Amino acid sequence: MLSTLRRSTLYVAKRRALARATTSSVPRRTLVQPSGADRASIVDVPSTYQDDNLFSPRPDMLGFKLEAPRREGILKDKARPIYLDMQATTPVDPRVLDAMLPYMTDQYGNPHSRTHAYGWEADKAVEEARKARRTRLLCGMRSQYTFFFLFFEQNIADLIGADPKDIVFTSGATESNNMSIKGVARFNKEKKRHIITTQTEHKCVLDSCRKLQEEDFDVTYLGVQQNGVLDLQELEAAIRPDTSLVSVMSVNNETGVIQPIKEIGAIVRKHRGVYFHTDAAQAVGKIPLDVNEMNIDLMSISGHKIYGPKGIGAAYVRRRPRVRLEPILSGGGQERGLRSGTLPAALAVGMGEAARIAKIEMARDHATVQRLAQHLIDGLESRIDHVVRNGDVNGYPGCVNLSFAYVEGESLLMALKDIALSSGSACTSASLEPSYVLRALGAAEDMAHSSLRFGFGRFTTEAEVDFVVEKLVATVQKLRDMSPLWEMVQEGIDINAIDWAQH
Amino acid sequence: MSPPVPPSRKTLLHLYAATLRASRGFSSYNFRNYFLARTKDAFRGIQNESDPAKLSSFYHAAVEELAVLKRSAIVNSLYGGWKLVVEKDKIERTRGVN
Ligand SMILES: Cc1ncc(COP(=O)(O)O)c(C=O)c1O
Repeated sequence: MLSTLRRSTLYVAKRRALARATTSSVPRRTLVQPSGADRASIVDVPSTYQDDNLFSPRPDMLGFKLEAPRREGILKDKARPIYLDMQATTPVDPRVLDAMLPYMTDQYGNPHSRTHAYGWEADKAVEEARKARRTRLLCGMRSQYTFFFLFFEQNIADLIGADPKDIVFTSGATESNNMSIKGVARFNKEKKRHIITTQTEHKCVLDSCRKLQEEDFDVTYLGVQQNGVLDLQELEAAIRPDTSLVSVMSVNNETGVIQPIKEIGAIVRKHRGVYFHTDAAQAVGKIPLDVNEMNIDLMSISGHKIYGPKGIGAAYVRRRPRVRLEPILSGGGQERGLRSGTLPAALAVGMGEAARIAKIEMARDHATVQRLAQHLIDGLESRIDHVVRNGDVNGYPGCVNLSFAYVEGESLLMALKDIALSSGSACTSASLEPSYVLRALGAAEDMAHSSLRFGFGRFTTEAEVDFVVEKLVATVQKLRDMSPLWEMVQEGIDINAIDWAQH
Repeated sequence: MSPPVPPSRKTLLHLYAATLRASRGFSSYNFRNYFLARTKDAFRGIQNESDPAKLSSFYHAAVEELAVLKRSAIVNSLYGGWKLVVEKDKIERTRGVN
């Protein structure tokens, strides 16, 4: 202890000496700046001394102060929040990164180059990502009962039961949605000018439709029932002779509600010339999907929602019977002319590997998120009242949307600094507007305001959920104790009966 | 085609130990825990398997995956290793700091 103290005073003295030496106007700098003996005296640091430069040496410093920024050293003391926002994006699976790295280092060819080996190997990798049937045997697990399976290596096309030639790589689900909706509508605009979608779609679908409305298309935005699921009869009634496209998302990104895609597909198939598009960004790799069984004509997939890289996605565009669309991008005619531009080989490989892993791990992942969701709900329900689950309880369990009555969602988010969460209005998180998805479900404004979305995934652990429950219970209690509304509720006053204008 | 030679119990145990060791090499909390749990599930799942074809295909897949995990753990420890709040208690502080 004593020696540490003495050494630290020595350091301060030396640093001061050095500082003085460099600030005094020395005309010529040499490597070594000797200082006079008068400056070598050791002074004690007063106890009130406050300076960031004051430090005590660690055993691994070998007596030197290392000036280079030590990443680990800085980060070790700063704990990162728990990540529970898997609907926004998922971490890249280490196995995916491992598959990508060769294409980010030595195998940098343009997959469209036909004249040399660099191009060929990149092309081969991209096509394998689209679909590979190398018969590799893998072990899979189903729920808690781990038993052992033979698996074929299967990638994007296989994950959704498609033909690999039907897969078009894009930059993400946003682009796939734009391409599908605008593409089909514009291609058929001479005869058909009507599109059907729902009110709970992702912003990029709704905005694509809005854009088409500006181009004089007619758009029907179907409402949803209280649980967030579409009414099939309403859908059927909305289809007109001039309808060209029905677009309904598979899994909602805010509530986890699963739409009856198979039934919708069957209804749409009955009407000739109407195409069915589904935004499956949140569904692919998480619930089983099959484009043939479900009669899906177009599908949007995102790489970064299935533990793949950001910046890549895919559109499934059926070729038999052929779905025609007007491409948005013009250019070299890559991807069947639907999406010109050089393919990002490394990203495509990453997405392919992510899809392959998703298929193998789907059952295990689903069991994990189911268990975690139940753990969260049980933990909260037993300890706080007035918590409402938004959306269908039979939705995708990896997305749990809860409203905490008498608590403001944004304040709750601020208080929960140790947890990376988003409120219901995730996509437009900059705005304080209550989520349009929750309002479409019929949630009251105040409940839509107080919602939080918990997104679990492959890598979430039970310890993390335990931590979240503890924090959440304490925070909700604290915020409610400060709330006058909560006090009135405790006294048994019906808040909805109060005529606020009188006051 | 000759029937595949199943791996011996000892070979499988070695592979199991090596895969666990590789999984522990991840410095990110979530990856480390995931691969540890997954490895345990997978190897326990075949503990009572006697079909030589299944054992041998499991073995080959697991060997391939071990190589992937080893590389991934290195990359992860180079660029990852941030501590999460749930592991905060376990952070070892070296003497002399604070
Ligand atoms: C349902 C849905 N569609 C589309 C997107 C956008 O996907 P991407 O980021 O790949 O463009 C998201 C993600 O935010 C989503 O949840």
